[in-house]
Amino acid sequence: MAEELKLPLVQITNLAETDIDQVSGSIIKTTANSALKLIDNYILGVKLSLEPQTLNAENVSVASTLYDVREELTDLAKNYGVNLELNIAGKYGPVAANKIGLEAALVSMGAALIEAMPALYESRQLKLQLATHGSRYGIVAGVYADTKQLSLGALNTGKRLNQSSRQRLVGLSHTNGAGVFVADSILKAMGLNLTATRHHHWYGIGTVLQPSSQLQLAV
Amino acid sequence: MKILIIEPDNVLLNVYTHSLKKAGYQVSSAHGAQAGIIIANKLKPDLVILELQLIEHSGIEFLYELRSYTDWQDIPVVINTIVPPAEFNNSRKLLMHDLGVDRYLYKPNSSLHELLSVVNELNLVTA
Repeated sequence: MAEELKLPLVQITNLAETDIDQVSGSIIKTTANSALKLIDNYILGVKLSLEPQTLNAENVSVASTLYDVREELTDLAKNYGVNLELNIAGKYGPVAANKIGLEAALVSMGAALIEAMPALYESRQLKLQLATHGSRYGIVAGVYADTKQLSLGALNTGKRLNQSSRQRLVGLSHTNGAGVFVADSILKAMGLNLTATRHHHWYGIGTVLQPSSQLQLAV
Repeated sequence: MKILIIEPDNVLLNVYTHSLKKAGYQVSSAHGAQAGIIIANKLKPDLVILELQLIEHSGIEFLYELRSYTDWQDIPVVINTIVPPAEFNNSRKLLMHDLGVDRYLYKPNSSLHELLSVVNELNLVTA
């Protein structure tokens, strides 16, 4: 985490040395907000792993969570020239999760991918999708891009390299990729898994959620 | 003077490009090693500013490739990186001696002003 936070701080100090106009002022603000959000989400992950009952499962609308995640990530995506799309195909009922936890996990992994995208694609148009879709295992919510680097192998290697490498997702991110692992810890504490997933021709990372049965209980 | 910057982070890349252009340099950039070699081939840079920690191919791999061409063996290279001194020192001999790196700047400890000063200094030396 400490390694990961060096980058936004370097960005801020370098930007502060330029002629700060409205544009660089707004980039500084977004960079600082994004770093603060990552710290908050990291703390949430640690807290949840120590006290899993902190965030109880409730009925959560995946669509509305993804709308909120897009709101959170819009400015950061703009900083990195990434076009952030929402793909909410199909109408799914509520899932059993915790909205704060799910949103924090999706924001963390989304921010990590946004920062990596310019280097992943070089000059290609940068698109990232926040999407939900049905699968035989449940309802998937995740972050998708047009790159095979978003694979289960990359995630597992990254998890194995915990504490032993400064660049845990070497084919995917030039940073430590902390956001992805913060998302993993939050999801794990909620009894969910971070996994690689595919949707149409897109590759992604996300989690499988189960439809909530609470609304069907009459008693 | 033509400068090639290889920097994976978009925000930093924009800051460096803007500042170097403002200082009167001709700047081209790439986010990764492979694109860096392609651009170097077109641009024929007089100086390279390089981050070591890149996606897929590292900065060291870029340097091996760069130095394998006779024309590019004397191009000054400034390492401007997030890799801390303790780790850089493990490869110091390889980078500074074998791969001809001129300067090492650790991003968290060096300012934009310092990077520009190093570039200006190397510009004077090569001019």
